[in-house]
Amino acid sequence: MDKGIWIDGPVNKGVMKFLKGLLENNAMDAVLMPGKNKTGDSNAWFFLDRDGLDESASPFPPVMTTQGAKMVSYLTKKNGSWKKTGVLLRPCELRAVIELAKLKQVDLTNLVLISYDCPGAFPLKEYLSGNQQELDMAFETSLGTQTDPEGLRNVCSICSNFTGSGADIEIGLIGADSKGFWLIPGTEQGEELLKKTEESNSFKSLESRDKLVEAKSVQRKEKRETTLDSFQQSVNGPENLMTVLSSCINCHNCSRVCPICFCRECYFDSRALNSGADEMLRRADRKQGLRLLPDLLLFHMGRMTHMSISCVSCGACEDACPADIPVSMLFTVAARDTRKIFDYEPGRDIDEALPYSVFNFEELKNFEAPYTRQYSKQ
Amino acid sequence: MTDNGYEPKIVAFLCNWCTFTAADLAGTSRIKYQPNIRIIKVMCSSRVDPVFILKALLDGADGVLIGGCAPGDCHYSKGNFYARRKVALAKTLAQNMGLDTDRIRLSWIPASEGPKFAGVVNEFTEKIKKIGANPAGQEVFI
Amino acid sequence: METFINSRMTISEFIAAIFDKRETAGVAAMAKLPSGNKAAYTLFTDKKSAENSIPFFPAMPVNAAKAVSKFTRQASPSKEVAMFLRPCELRALTELVKIKQAGLDNLLLISFDCGGVFPFKEISISDEEKLKSYVDAFKNGKNCEGIRPVCAACTKFVPKENQADIVISLIGRKPHDPLVMSFPTEKGKNTAKALGIDLPDKTHTSPVAPSTAVESLFKEREEKEKKLKEKIKTGFADTGGLVSMFDRCISCHACSYVCPICYCKNCYFDSQTFEYFSESYFIRMGEKGALRLPVDRTLFHVGRLSHMGLSCVACGMCEDACPVNIPVSQIFKTIGSEAQAVFDYIPGKDLNEALPLLTYSESELETFED
Repeated sequence: MDKGIWIDGPVNKGVMKFLKGLLENNAMDAVLMPGKNKTGDSNAWFFLDRDGLDESASPFPPVMTTQGAKMVSYLTKKNGSWKKTGVLLRPCELRAVIELAKLKQVDLTNLVLISYDCPGAFPLKEYLSGNQQELDMAFETSLGTQTDPEGLRNVCSICSNFTGSGADIEIGLIGADSKGFWLIPGTEQGEELLKKTEESNSFKSLESRDKLVEAKSVQRKEKRETTLDSFQQSVNGPENLMTVLSSCINCHNCSRVCPICFCRECYFDSRALNSGADEMLRRADRKQGLRLLPDLLLFHMGRMTHMSISCVSCGACEDACPADIPVSMLFTVAARDTRKIFDYEPGRDIDEALPYSVFNFEELKNFEAPYTRQYSKQ
Repeated sequence: MTDNGYEPKIVAFLCNWCTFTAADLAGTSRIKYQPNIRIIKVMCSSRVDPVFILKALLDGADGVLIGGCAPGDCHYSKGNFYARRKVALAKTLAQNMGLDTDRIRLSWIPASEGPKFAGVVNEFTEKIKKIGANPAGQEVFI
Repeated sequence: METFINSRMTISEFIAAIFDKRETAGVAAMAKLPSGNKAAYTLFTDKKSAENSIPFFPAMPVNAAKAVSKFTRQASPSKEVAMFLRPCELRALTELVKIKQAGLDNLLLISFDCGGVFPFKEISISDEEKLKSYVDAFKNGKNCEGIRPVCAACTKFVPKENQADIVISLIGRKPHDPLVMSFPTEKGKNTAKALGIDLPDKTHTSPVAPSTAVESLFKEREEKEKKLKEKIKTGFADTGGLVSMFDRCISCHACSYVCPICYCKNCYFDSQTFEYFSESYFIRMGEKGALRLPVDRTLFHVGRLSHMGLSCVACGMCEDACPVNIPVSQIFKTIGSEAQAVFDYIPGKDLNEALPLLTYSESELETFED
């Protein structure tokens, strides 16, 4: 798209008005979006109709308490949404929704996906214990100006998929310079809906935005590579990795908050890894000591094989880790190379098959070791 | 909400053998009782996990009635003694977490006592009407 | 009351002696990890590697009862294994044995006076100052600054003697002194004999009296416990209090995962029972026009209390693992103990005491009937 509806004025208010408009003219029946919790010291998700919208919603949370894709999964896992529901998601949440749809944990029927240019999020624990007013202010400013606020999560500061492209409706903020925002249709459904808004004919060219997005993307990609390179150095080898993971208490909370880890009973909690006491004693004997609970490294590396290809680097795991391990960075690094092999980007396209579910006859030859000895010599 | 016009919703877990049969009897005997209860039949009052009671209260039920056979008369011989312990647990937790325990009622109603069933329901409904609506029902953040 | 006697061994000598003289297949205790600065509960099978163990290290990265459960649930060891447990871990283990999630066969349970632990995030082996002040406070029978709130308010810090085979008395004593122990069980007494520790019936060992520091610590903690319970109770004034107590909760269920008592592999609250059809969300949004997601957030906590509150040993793991700093353990300790009082039940007190919901008497609790 090269054009978007331009709406003047503060972003927060404008977006709320836009959503309310859609609910009021029955283009949508409900909306799933973030809001403040009761005490006002944290964020939560809300499922709202037009009456509840004003009371509970705040569209752009400075933290990610729970991953939005998980909420979409709760709502649509058993059956598709009953009525038309708009969902306001961060770009990484949007990508997770698409991955979950591929994994059949989300039904996209009757959903309108709305996303925005995300300035990132603060680490949850630091937000909860920090000066929230200041952080809220900093976040709001950076939402308008699209500069990185101080104290962003590591994964957010190297995120190169910061726009809501792929959504039905994209809220364009980059280049808007706090003066307003664009509503950019991404799909036919989005276009239809945008026709129903009040300002449906105030189009404005997206040229300036596209340039800035491109520039930020290049800059972020560069930063991403260098940051990940140096992080990879610091965790390379069993010794370094075990040092990083030494504070892990094997609580598996990273997997519980992960939007991609959808299994109700995780393999690493299953009986497959149980063993009798004597077997554990033998293991302890071999390794001069067995940490209890066991299989800590296996859990992390195994989880990497299970979900890292679909990992959207949303950082929920790191936020929820009670031991402050840089889990999200670890998984981002792990996923970097595997993705290159399969030329796969999670959440890029709903029609792109999961790498493990398809194959080509002629591919990945460099992972085969050719048989070199000659039979004939015998 | 005040007394007039306010119709509470009461969830009733009734044991198949006594209290549910008593409810049936009340019906066939054409005894009128308050229409506020929503009956869920369970095979034995001991099937009522404390979580059932708490879930009903947190999701906005104004009252929860658990009905079982009189002590000693349980179809499974001792289920209702376990039920009493479970209700005691649920009530204690509810009380300590700021939920109104007057909204939970455990009553023994034998199969042959249709009038008693109607009486208990009427009495409980009156009481709940007096207490008023369950605030948890209107609580968005719960 | 068992008699405490001077073993004339330091802790490392004691562990070495267990391997040498008792033909033990393994020892499990807190130990320094090979990489990094942290300690973890570790199983050792030889004397040499066991030198890394530091059984009294004030952190609880896992409730050891959970480790014992993992170790013995499928099959108990065929040879003796000695395991160090804090008093609350010992109580949790007793509860786990009752619910058939752990076995005690071939285990030699060693417990010790507990001065509490720091939140595991806030203590590592290199924190010498913190560890020093911990030891000092311990010796004087005082709470150390910075230990977890539930630990500071725990009055059951002396292991009950009929649970452990060997009890080490630490409070009021100096850290590098030879250990003062008692051997309440037959297994413990046999161990003492094998280790060459003279039991008090032999004339030349004078029994060591338990220290007065225990009493002063008990008093301090009793006071703290009272205050903690008051604080939590005022927090739960009404339905609003319940909501705000768990307002920050992100429904990650970490508290249940690290809880030693919450043993279910597929938690009821993660089960299909709590998955709803899409229509249900619209209906529940209903009149209110708003529904907070994930749903059943408060119910999870209240319901979990009803499932395990009667067995809650207030070990504090849940609070340690909570990523959003909800005082979970303080809440569960306070409300759990109220529920325990109704049934006159103390979790972990006695292996032969039936779980409250698995027993009844015909005339009781009549006040709960209408």
